[in-house]
Amino acid sequence: MARYGMVFDLKRCIGCNACVIGCKQENSLPDGVFFTRTLSEEYGVYPAVNRVYIPTLCNHCEDAPCEKVCPSGATYTRPDGIVMVDPQKCIGCGSCAVACPYDQRSEMKAEAFKDGLFGTGELTDFEKQGYPRYTPGMVTKCDFCSGRVDAGLDPACVVTCPTDARIFGDLDDPNSKPSKLIRERGGKSPLPEKNTRPKVYYID
Amino acid sequence: MAANPDAVHNSIKPGRWVRSTCKMCLHSCTNLIHVTDDGVINKVEGDPTNPSNRGKLCPKGNSAIMRHYDPNRFTQPLKRTNPEKGPNIDPMWVPISWDEALTLVADKLKDCLQTDPRRIIPSLEDFQKMNIWVWPLAFGNFNFFQSGGTMCGGAYHPINGYVHSAFAAANDAKYCNFWLNDGTGDGFSSHLHAAAQSSWVADARVNRGMRCVTVEPRFSISAAKSEEWVPIRPATDRQFALSMCHVMVKEGWCDYKSLRKDTNAPYLVGDDGYFVRNAEGKIYVWDSADNRARLWDDPAIGEFALEGAYTVEGKPCKPAFQRFRDILANCSPEAMEKITTVPPATVRRLAKEMYDAAGIATDAKIEIDGRVMPLRPAAYNYYRGAQGHKLGFQTNHAFKMVNFLLGCIDAPGGHIGVTLDDQWVDHSHIEPGENGMIKPNPHQLGPVPPFAYPPQTFHLMDYFPVGVHPPHLNLEVFLNPEKYGLEFRPDTMIVCHSNPIWAMQGPREKWFEFMKSMKFIAVSDIIPTETTQWADVILPSNDVFESWNMTMIEPPHTEGMCMRQPAVEPLYDTKSEEEIFTELAERIGVLDSYNEVLNYALGFVQKPELKLEPGIKYTDKEIARRKGLLWNGKDLDWYVEHGHAVTERRLDKWYRPWEGMRLHFYIEDMVSVRDDLMRKMEAAQVPFRHEWAWEDYQPLPTARLDPVHGEPPEYDLYGMFFKDIQINFGESLSNPWIQDIVYRDPVHIALMLNPKTAEKQGLKALDIVRVESPYGMIFGRIGISEGWHPDTLGVSNALSRAKTQSKGIKHAGGHFNDLLPYDLKNTDGVTGQPETVCKVKITKLQDWPAHLKNGGSVYDLVDEIAKPGKGRKH
Repeated sequence: MARYGMVFDLKRCIGCNACVIGCKQENSLPDGVFFTRTLSEEYGVYPAVNRVYIPTLCNHCEDAPCEKVCPSGATYTRPDGIVMVDPQKCIGCGSCAVACPYDQRSEMKAEAFKDGLFGTGELTDFEKQGYPRYTPGMVTKCDFCSGRVDAGLDPACVVTCPTDARIFGDLDDPNSKPSKLIRERGGKSPLPEKNTRPKVYYID
Repeated sequence: MAANPDAVHNSIKPGRWVRSTCKMCLHSCTNLIHVTDDGVINKVEGDPTNPSNRGKLCPKGNSAIMRHYDPNRFTQPLKRTNPEKGPNIDPMWVPISWDEALTLVADKLKDCLQTDPRRIIPSLEDFQKMNIWVWPLAFGNFNFFQSGGTMCGGAYHPINGYVHSAFAAANDAKYCNFWLNDGTGDGFSSHLHAAAQSSWVADARVNRGMRCVTVEPRFSISAAKSEEWVPIRPATDRQFALSMCHVMVKEGWCDYKSLRKDTNAPYLVGDDGYFVRNAEGKIYVWDSADNRARLWDDPAIGEFALEGAYTVEGKPCKPAFQRFRDILANCSPEAMEKITTVPPATVRRLAKEMYDAAGIATDAKIEIDGRVMPLRPAAYNYYRGAQGHKLGFQTNHAFKMVNFLLGCIDAPGGHIGVTLDDQWVDHSHIEPGENGMIKPNPHQLGPVPPFAYPPQTFHLMDYFPVGVHPPHLNLEVFLNPEKYGLEFRPDTMIVCHSNPIWAMQGPREKWFEFMKSMKFIAVSDIIPTETTQWADVILPSNDVFESWNMTMIEPPHTEGMCMRQPAVEPLYDTKSEEEIFTELAERIGVLDSYNEVLNYALGFVQKPELKLEPGIKYTDKEIARRKGLLWNGKDLDWYVEHGHAVTERRLDKWYRPWEGMRLHFYIEDMVSVRDDLMRKMEAAQVPFRHEWAWEDYQPLPTARLDPVHGEPPEYDLYGMFFKDIQINFGESLSNPWIQDIVYRDPVHIALMLNPKTAEKQGLKALDIVRVESPYGMIFGRIGISEGWHPDTLGVSNALSRAKTQSKGIKHAGGHFNDLLPYDLKNTDGVTGQPETVCKVKITKLQDWPAHLKNGGSVYDLVDEIAKPGKGRKH
């Protein structure tokens, strides 16, 4: 059984947000919901200024705090390590959002499903075909495009990334692309002090 | 309602994938469109079989679905019922039939053809369909009101036509090891095939350790990913490039071998600026081996002199290289620093680093496919921001000069010409010219009108023999028609996928007067824009998922046709652009001449069996089919299966396609074209000939200041604008997904200042301000960032939209273009390139002016996002 994870190559990321929109496409996300983001942080003083683009998504933690606090059992971890949210079971209590140290949980507000992406109160055909994946009010997140992964495909954000800054694969396979990058370029996981054991790593 | 337990991710739903081509910018990345069994488009991905974009799409390409399903789309032909026209005035559309719409438009056009065809002013911008762009040539009309002229690369395209005989140029990501970007996002965020080029460049950066340096007033994406940012005062990039040249020439850091063999740098130039020729017109060089003049192709030449002063045929003369050296005497890094603010030590270090990286000292070579060539993996790349100045031609030429000195023009690893559309795979874009040089090809976008006085075009294209159409001059002439001797006034406008009233520089209020002077405006588009609200008739077109096309648009590294095919039936009662414009052509009686124009414009004359016949209205599908056949002889079924014919660029076209010929280091045309135009203007007694900018015509670039630097001192900052990959090229700000990312990015939601500058001006973040230039004003809110040159006010193009009837669009406080000039003084006399930087002054306001207080602006959206639970900022 694989153990899926992702590496973000900060040298490659240009902060273009193609991943963010690719994700919105794949998941038909309602307005205001993001399963992935690209943060930017500027530092230094002119002219020695710098800016880093930091892609983020659910870290699919081995010890997922969101899973521990979920009262309904909606949040669970698949055998391949992907942390999932079952829309049938989620009661929208938001405990997971509080517990996640990475701010990766999004509430899918009921009104967003009504207002639509254009704010007209009418849904496009694109929204109509995509929204049935969700229960309005649920609090959810990235699932590494689990359906695509099951079909042998990479997540949507990975395939569209112009600079190949997102590298997805099996962390248990020492020869997988992410394993090699973590080993060779010293992958760091986010907020290690939280002891969540993320399956997402950053290299720079 | 609870979720459907069987629902899955969009791309794995039952459905089919359709191969097609993106149109979210003008370029041609190919894609795969997923259509569900229910006929809904629910995913667009890049096509992994295309060696250009390699399965990738930029954020715009990813957001195409939101354009297709935009509820604001025009769903049927419309007619205005409100006689009052103006910004943000409801046209009160009523639906009409296609026949009524086409008849209405055709009757107005016919009236023009019967009285004066020059009354028609076209604004036909669809860059993936040059067959529509050239439509007015069917009745000999050269008027021009679209931004794809000088608002794009006014001076850039002609100089590429001179230096590479190509439309564009790019550094060679495959072998380049030192990539200098000046005022461009190439390889990082914008310009040529943004997804493709950033993919290639990321590989070069990370896998090969390619060093990147970005010269720009702002800390752009390119700067953020570069090893070094060199902040520079706006509109001084030419002086920076010349200071680099100064150091390289002074220190001998030049590829002399290439200059002698591959360029006209050794050709002798007289004091009149012309090459010194013998009676047969052959050009002399100086042979320093036996110290005598010889003809350029004399096999006895021992050594081409690049320097010195001589007398040949009784004329004092110098090699072209020496002429450049003389100019550079005044371009020391110390002298140029006063203009650019770039420290001389930085210039010297960069010049040395580029020289070293280029492998000149060891005359590095590379063998590719059995061909041994110089390897010159260091190059100076640039585009819109750096080149968009009054002295545009000289500015572009100065950048090319760095590459000439590095010997990297069209060399592996160097700076390489990129063609717009080769039309067929065996077509070479290089032709031999006179005296061993390549033939210059400054007109990459088709024929331009001949000289005439009184002018036959409203934008004075009659007087830019090597230029690109300068649409901003429509305003200059509109306001001063007598001065320019105009015998006609355009009053009938035909628009297709163009938004000139958004894109043109010059104050909106004056452009509104221009629009009001139109008696009739017909617009073909898919969604409402600033321009559509001026229309009398809307001719709604199919969108990219509903139509056919075949195109190749300036891809770096690759070549080949990209096919667009309908993924779904049109959602609404719309038509292809081809059907609209052939219908109109037939109704106004120019169908046969239109088909003949297309035979030339699309290159069908090269294969006579593909030529369009008179009397036939060809569909978008048939035009696409013939373009595919012209490229590689494959019929449409082959393209439907493969999606595209893109391959890596054939190496004989990509590297040194002019081998054995010489490049135009010295552009003698600047002298001969100037003199020819001068003679014609004198003979015709053109009244404005004495104020024509003759001094702009220079065969070698000079350090003369652009007039923007001479604006009154009360305007104490330089205003500049910028785009990034999310808003690269055409409209995308009405797209909710683009809004999602752009309006969460701090650089796109405020007028940006360096903190020290803000302090000096008594301003802080979020202050509401009025920004004035000598030409216009805008309003906005201040943002602070260390990533700005202290002399600069930076304005994102995301803050450019106007309040209109278009509900999806967030207006800002006026368009940066309002601040820009539209006059001759700020227009390059050679190419028509207008100045795109302005001097500004900032005044702090207590509150927004009344017209910006009613909600719906970018700033209102930004405040909304900032509230808790609203998706937060990025």
